Amino acid sequence: MINPEYYPLVRMVIFLVAMMAFVGLNALVLVYAERKIAGHVQRRPGPFHVGWHGLLQPLADAGKLMAKQLLTPWSSDKLLFWAAPLLSFLPVILLFLPIPFGETLYGLNVNLGVVLILAFSGLNVLALCLAGWASNNKYGLLGAARAVAQSVAYEIPLLISVLTVALMSGSLDLHAITVQQGAWPWQWYGVLNPLAFFIYFISILGETNRAPFDLPEGESELTAGFHTEYSGMGFGMFFLSEYANMVVVCCVASILFLGGYQGPIESGWWWFLLKVYALLFIIIWMRWTFPRVRFDQLLNINWRWLTPLALLNLVGTVIVLRLAG
Amino acid sequence: MQELQALSPYAYGLYLLIILGGSLAAALCKNLIRAMAGLITAMLGAAGMYMMLNAPFVAMMQVLIYVGAVSVLIFFAIMLTKTPAGDSPELGSSSKIAAGLVVGVMPFVFLVSACLNYFKQQVETPPDIPVDQLGQDLLTRYALGFELISVVLFVAMAGAVILGFERRRSQ
Repeated sequence: MINPEYYPLVRMVIFLVAMMAFVGLNALVLVYAERKIAGHVQRRPGPFHVGWHGLLQPLADAGKLMAKQLLTPWSSDKLLFWAAPLLSFLPVILLFLPIPFGETLYGLNVNLGVVLILAFSGLNVLALCLAGWASNNKYGLLGAARAVAQSVAYEIPLLISVLTVALMSGSLDLHAITVQQGAWPWQWYGVLNPLAFFIYFISILGETNRAPFDLPEGESELTAGFHTEYSGMGFGMFFLSEYANMVVVCCVASILFLGGYQGPIESGWWWFLLKVYALLFIIIWMRWTFPRVRFDQLLNINWRWLTPLALLNLVGTVIVLRLAG
Repeated sequence: MQELQALSPYAYGLYLLIILGGSLAAALCKNLIRAMAGLITAMLGAAGMYMMLNAPFVAMMQVLIYVGAVSVLIFFAIMLTKTPAGDSPELGSSSKIAAGLVVGVMPFVFLVSACLNYFKQQVETPPDIPVDQLGQDLLTRYALGFELISVVLFVAMAGAVILGFERRRSQ
């Protein structure tokens, strides 16, 4: 019997392969959920013809994407053009490493899990920049410029709200933060500090470029933004990484604010997945409920409301922690 | 952890190659964005070196700040100067090249002589320092250096703002 505690490298490799499968499967599930929810929000059935209630539609979409011809624009920077989708997708798998799905279900037990996720999620912005620039297309470049302004802005309230939780728990270890919160909702940091949870949730919509903040790819004004020139799996990679990023930020939200894998009656990965998918459902629901904001509104929401609120919340949390303990 | 120990020379070689390749690309590419990509690669390699030195927090900060944030700012600066894809800026005059050589050679000589003189003996890998200890030390023992760096950042920011105002007034 091989004890995985003594073989961290073996454990990591197995976990990374498992996470690739998880990301792929998740994309299928989320695409189906997204289209079905969109359909029902708009009083239509959504995908219906491929399989029972359109259940095989995402598989058909995936087949179409993979079979499509890969086109490289004649005047683009070929090397960076193809490096960008890879750079967007590869770090996402890494982000799953420190996430504890259950008591013993994690890839790497590090005491800096939060920092690792924050550090490597920044690579996605860079990938979007390179994609937009290397396409040598005005829509691509505009999309990239928007992606930069947006993600630089929304990273600030996001970091501050994460910092608030780190202050409350006194740790940057995702496993330790999970254990500190109890099984019941009133012990969770999201209930103890709802403002931080709220700010985090709004900021992740901006960070993952989800509607109503999906301006980098706003199709009505920029055709498709930074991925205008990508076809087939070039686009597929961006798509996969967007969905995987959504899952990662929801995993982090459920660990920091909702007690992770802990839950009433019996703790385990089922509670974790339930919380993650509940958050994902809310994100999809918001996309089909709120219209897209204008770009100045997007930045105003952040600089005039979220950032000052996050700072006030941080100061308030410090004062409360001092008085309480 | 035995297998990880055995892997460390290979990891060192890999990071060295990444840093060298990235820096060469940064120095030799005529295309500014490609040069920036090389610079980012070199910075990622440096983050790997911090990991080898048992300083995971510094490595993560290297990725978060340099690879994630500073590179994006450089990208923004390049984009605002409107260099189209595939176009290369013309090389400067001979006096500029000479100045560049001086600026490049001086730190090289300084660093090489420092390495040859002071790093002869082998030392153990330092122990992993917890983050709270790191923060305590930065605000007490190393407070002067810490504050000086923030002064440098402040000067850079103030300079950028002043340059922006000057340009707007001249238009």
